[in-house]
Amino acid sequence: MSAAPVPVTSDVDDPSIRAPLVLGRQNFATVSDSVSTIVERKAPKTWFLLLGLALSILAILGGSLVDLVWKGVGRWGNNHPVGWAWDITGFVFWIGIGHAGTLISAILFLFRQKWRTSINRAAEAMTIFAVMAAGIYPAFHVGRVWLLYWVFPFPNQMSVWPNFKSPLLWDVFAVSTYATVSILFWFVGLVPDLATLRDRATTRTRQIVFGIFALGWRGSHRHWLNYERAYMILAGLSTPLVLSVHTIVSFDFAVSVMPGWHTTIFPPYFVAGAVFSGFAMVLTLMIIVRKAFGLEHLLTKRHLENMCKIILATGSMVGYAYAMEFFIAWYSGNDYERYAFVNRAFGPYKWAYWTMVSCNVICPQLFWFKKIRTSIPAIFVISIFVNIGMWFERFVIIVTSLHRDFIPSSWGYFRPTLIDISTFFGTFGLFLTMFLLFLKFLPSIAISEVKGVMPAADPHHHDDRHEAHEGLTGGTGNEDHHESDPEAVHA
Amino acid sequence: MKRLPIVYAKDLSGRKYWRSLAEQQNDPEYLEAQHREFPAGADEAPPEGDVSRRGFMGIMGAAMALAGMTACRRPEEKIVPYARAPEEVVPGNPLFYATAFPWMGSAIGLLVETHEGRPTKIEGNPLHPDSLGATNTYAQATVLDLYDPDRSDAPRIKGNVKKSWDDAAVALRDVGAKLKADGGKGLAILTPEHRSPSLEAGLADLKKQLPQARVVRWTPFGRAQSRDGARLAFGKPYDTVRDWAKARVIVTLEADAFLRDGSPVKQARGWAQGRNPRHPAEGATVLNRFYAVESVYSVTGACADHRLRLKPSDIVSFAFTLAHQLATAHGADLGELTGALAAQRKDQGPAAKKFMEVLAKDLAANKGASLVVAGENLPAEVHAVVDLINLALGNVGDGKPVQHVQPWNEATPEGGKAVVELAAAIQANQIQTLLILGGNPAFDAPADAKLADAIAKVPTSIHLSTHYDETSALCAWHIPRAHLLESWGDAATEAGEVSIIQPMIAPLYGGKTDLELVRQLLGDVRKGYELVRATFAIDGEPAADSEKRWRKMLHDGVLAGVKMPTEEVKPTYAPTATAVKAWVAPQGVEISFQPDSHAWDGSFANNGWTQEFPDPMHKTTWGNHAWVSPKQAETMGVVEGDVVQVAVGAGSVKLPVLIAPGMADGVVAVMLGQGRRAEGRVQTGIGVDCYPLRASNGLGFAAGKVDKQGDKGVLARTQEHFNTEGRPLIREGSLDEFKKNPKFVSELVEEHAPLESMWTDRDYSKGHKWGMAIDLNSCIGCGACMIACQAENNIPTVGREGVLWSREMHWIRVDRYYEGTPDEPRAVMQPMPCQQCEDAPCEGVCPVGATAHSPEGLNDMAYNRCIGTRYCANNCPWKVRRFNYFNYQKNLSEQKKMQFNPDVTVRARGVMEKCTFCVQRINQAKIALHREGKERVEDGAVVSACAQVCPTAAISFGDLNDPKSKVFHKAWSVLNYVLLEELNTRPRVSYLAKIRNPHPELEAAKPAASEHKE
Repeated sequence: MSAAPVPVTSDVDDPSIRAPLVLGRQNFATVSDSVSTIVERKAPKTWFLLLGLALSILAILGGSLVDLVWKGVGRWGNNHPVGWAWDITGFVFWIGIGHAGTLISAILFLFRQKWRTSINRAAEAMTIFAVMAAGIYPAFHVGRVWLLYWVFPFPNQMSVWPNFKSPLLWDVFAVSTYATVSILFWFVGLVPDLATLRDRATTRTRQIVFGIFALGWRGSHRHWLNYERAYMILAGLSTPLVLSVHTIVSFDFAVSVMPGWHTTIFPPYFVAGAVFSGFAMVLTLMIIVRKAFGLEHLLTKRHLENMCKIILATGSMVGYAYAMEFFIAWYSGNDYERYAFVNRAFGPYKWAYWTMVSCNVICPQLFWFKKIRTSIPAIFVISIFVNIGMWFERFVIIVTSLHRDFIPSSWGYFRPTLIDISTFFGTFGLFLTMFLLFLKFLPSIAISEVKGVMPAADPHHHDDRHEAHEGLTGGTGNEDHHESDPEAVHA
Repeated sequence: MKRLPIVYAKDLSGRKYWRSLAEQQNDPEYLEAQHREFPAGADEAPPEGDVSRRGFMGIMGAAMALAGMTACRRPEEKIVPYARAPEEVVPGNPLFYATAFPWMGSAIGLLVETHEGRPTKIEGNPLHPDSLGATNTYAQATVLDLYDPDRSDAPRIKGNVKKSWDDAAVALRDVGAKLKADGGKGLAILTPEHRSPSLEAGLADLKKQLPQARVVRWTPFGRAQSRDGARLAFGKPYDTVRDWAKARVIVTLEADAFLRDGSPVKQARGWAQGRNPRHPAEGATVLNRFYAVESVYSVTGACADHRLRLKPSDIVSFAFTLAHQLATAHGADLGELTGALAAQRKDQGPAAKKFMEVLAKDLAANKGASLVVAGENLPAEVHAVVDLINLALGNVGDGKPVQHVQPWNEATPEGGKAVVELAAAIQANQIQTLLILGGNPAFDAPADAKLADAIAKVPTSIHLSTHYDETSALCAWHIPRAHLLESWGDAATEAGEVSIIQPMIAPLYGGKTDLELVRQLLGDVRKGYELVRATFAIDGEPAADSEKRWRKMLHDGVLAGVKMPTEEVKPTYAPTATAVKAWVAPQGVEISFQPDSHAWDGSFANNGWTQEFPDPMHKTTWGNHAWVSPKQAETMGVVEGDVVQVAVGAGSVKLPVLIAPGMADGVVAVMLGQGRRAEGRVQTGIGVDCYPLRASNGLGFAAGKVDKQGDKGVLARTQEHFNTEGRPLIREGSLDEFKKNPKFVSELVEEHAPLESMWTDRDYSKGHKWGMAIDLNSCIGCGACMIACQAENNIPTVGREGVLWSREMHWIRVDRYYEGTPDEPRAVMQPMPCQQCEDAPCEGVCPVGATAHSPEGLNDMAYNRCIGTRYCANNCPWKVRRFNYFNYQKNLSEQKKMQFNPDVTVRARGVMEKCTFCVQRINQAKIALHREGKERVEDGAVVSACAQVCPTAAISFGDLNDPKSKVFHKAWSVLNYVLLEELNTRPRVSYLAKIRNPHPELEAAKPAASEHKE
């Protein structure tokens, strides 16, 4: 049933022409098919191969953490001036990655950016898995993991509350809220698609499992009404979170007194950086996914190009922030601040700093050229560079600020241990495992939403409507909704 | 089940009583039964082979069932109260006993804190003249040595075979009997340098009975050179006592007077008394002027107003030239020596010449109040010349900076040559019995003596030692020695004030003292107590008076006011002149021998605290290195860490290079005492043994060769960066600057608007407000505070690996910065405890509120609450917080656990820790105060461990709300400043700027240096 691959075109530059978001002769049925078959068919060999690989990496994470908890945080290279190193770098890195997902699903939704529909599901999943990977670090970087629950405010026999002044506590709230809302948002968006899968299900198990999670979805008008409201509310809730989470993460540094950390530019700079890195990660993943699962007609070049543009914009913001940090360090007249920045660029960690600048500031500037932002290999390579650069950004901020602060006698140098490397490497195992499981077991593209942006969904496109209903099987009733929901049609 | 037989009191006479014929005949069956509680088979599985499969299952089943049952409840631990409580022991309250620590030909009086009979911490004895309440790092660390699990626990014979004390007693008696028979023929006794009247009496008695016995003294770092110098200068090997407080101009020649030469603690205090800059309104400024001429940059040199770096042989020439200058230009009477000096003068360049001329002028201008000190690394002729200079300048006599007192025992040969002669006598088969009373001569004797080979050759050799060490392994008998804190004994200071050494605890592993062993050899089995008591008995004194006097001596720790009379010395110029004339400088690179700042002469090598104690100048730990100046390194083509081969004569060693700014060129300094070959859990594999380089004719320095090797070594340092980067952390100025503008200190930083806090300020004006002021004028950077803190606060060591990963745990550290060029840097020291900020940046960031403020302004850590995010440490501008990256206190020996201070929590892994201002001491004082119904703790009632140990009293601790307190006075001094004041954390620790007192003529040659900009 699935549509034959259609040549990908996305060279519509004239803004007066609305470029198609779904390519080829697609109708609702082919869309449902191409997404659902991934879930319904036996997974390709590559998937098993990749899952095996991901699980092996996940095992490395498990081993590293067992070793860490068994012997102590000293298994990492953290030391006396540098109390945080790869751990918090990893945390901020993963939290940042998550941001693109929320941005795509919530902010772009509110701004009626219809092109988001084919990437939002996977991006949201990426958010959740990234937050999971991020959560590893604050949990395991503490000296006594078994007492971690003390960070939560709960009534206890000791009559002790956590310290509400501490940015780390704000982090606990910010990240847990973020994780909760992201999961809810993702799940609510999944409900109609889960129902589609349930209805298409050929086995009893599938029917039951998808049936439970579809929450009794029948596609009725009332369902759609509640769904749209819930989705809108959650999008509204998520939107400030995109800004707040990384703002609060940046407070971990900005609220301190350390030169190099104590700057007011951090919140916007961190948010821009987070979106930047998140989009890079979405790109990296999407390029692989669309190729591997033959979804080029849904994840078009235009999507990629749009994301490249966002990377270009946020990358420039990040570059501006880097420059502004230097300017303010000089302009403030604060010797310690000045030293911290000179040391970043020319001190013992200059290699990290210049890696960061090359990857984050110089690399994305190539996206000014249309040729580059439409060349898949180029996008892929640059997105990888951005990912590397953004990891280095956090490393530079954390480690170079700590290793040389106020009192020169306590200056030191941080060297990672094998366990540092294996822990970080292992978090990719967690992320990839989750992502691969998601790709196989859940609709990786929001079927109902994609249908909503197809020409067929437009009641004025009568010619196409016929086409859209051609060969439609299953009774999700989604098409009725699109006819009657004025918002979806006229937006 | 085997058990140890009940230990009966030893019969020290060596007689052996028996209970049954079986015992008398050493029946093996009886011996086996003696170790058994039950007959064989009753409580043990039958021997192998007899167990049937069924039987095995039965036993295992029962064992499993029983093992399971033990898990049903917690192990029961019964507390047995004292059946008869010892007088004065209140559980939980420490008791302090006075004793003394023999050190470098003097003694440091101690007060030892004991908890229910366990010594836990050593403090200085304020009544003791060589302590004045302070100690040094080694005295502090010796409490850890007491609990060293590697200590020897039984007598042994060759081949490390353990023997019973009875066997040893019998052997000793036999040796004694044989010796008595032939008047001590073939007996040699090797003792370390000591000043114990009881031991001296014991040796004198032995000499009486065994007139042919020979006694030899050897200590790798002692005072033999200075006594030899006095022998040249005055005809008698007087001991020299120096009172630094009485000197206005001081010059040290290759003397590390604050860590090594003379009586360091007393000297440092004396020097500091002469460094008291004050605002005119506060009183008169007292400031001595201190010149140092040295090859290695020592902490003493860092305290000097002027420092000249010369290689050791040039320092000898410098001393001769200076003496000549004093004699010819300033009228110092050196008799016929002047001529000899003229021939040995050396032109050492314009800077050295200027230095010498100004110094001579300054010394001459302060006749009677100047002091010239020569270090033990210099040969005897320099000591003689220096003695004569001091005499000629009128510095010698009662009430003057220098006094000479009667030598301890001039008849006893001492030093390197004596050891060489002893070894030769052994090789010539003149010695059949060798008694080594402590020390480790097989390890530390001069290389040319080949003493180790000689000891192995002696038929009957007995070594008394706390550890089964290099020497013990070569001896026929090894007798465990009681640790200082387990011993009865006595020790006199250099000036002759005598202290009783009293035990704090019964010997943990048995163990005898040197006093007891000397007596026991001849059948005198009196205990140490009786021996010491007998030494201080006065004939005809009524028993009650004697007891009273004895008790007072024990209580005070020193026989106050009684010391040796100052000798009237008469110069004998001729022998000195001959020696000076004969002096020839060694040719080539000079190798200077220094005691290791961790292991000392090797005796502290197995001590984790000293090994992890950062070298005061170079901040290296766990190992020794070859120190060279930056220029010398360039000449040798080496960089830091390169391994070089250092060779002197036949000996050669390989060790990594450390580039030491401020060292003289043409000299390589090596540290002795590391690289111990004997097994020890701390010392094994640490450092390189450099004793093979040191021969009796060059104990201080010798010409040698240095070759670069291909390898690289890694230096485990606690501080890597020695430049203040222009930050106003260290503030200092010259006396002139201070006089011109007493407020210059506060003007060194830019003025800023008054700072405001985000938070409501707490009111600390009522009650106590604990604070600390650290006077950089008197801080010598010795680091005793670090070890004192470690002992007081149960601070773990992290090992060499831990230091390499920068995870050392010291709560207080001493920062050392250089200023100036790498060739001629000026070093400054800055102790850095937690600053106890009133608005502490660490507190706000802790997510669980594990660190918070006490009402008295202490920044407290609740270890139990800490989850270990390390955010507080990151946010500490002073980086004084320390995190337990591993469970450093986990696998400790039972012995080490006994050292723990019960008033301080032992921290587990994953917990942050830091300086508490010794809150346990504060609380103890407050409890005592409440009992007495008083309101406030008086100044001096609470002293933090670091303040207590400080030789120069540079650290003042007390109540900032008490206007009569010392810390209040210092906190309001015009020299006071606070670090990083602009952060507005309001630290409770403040510093007093350093005022240097340069000579105007020498200062003119150098650019002014009140700022630390490079």
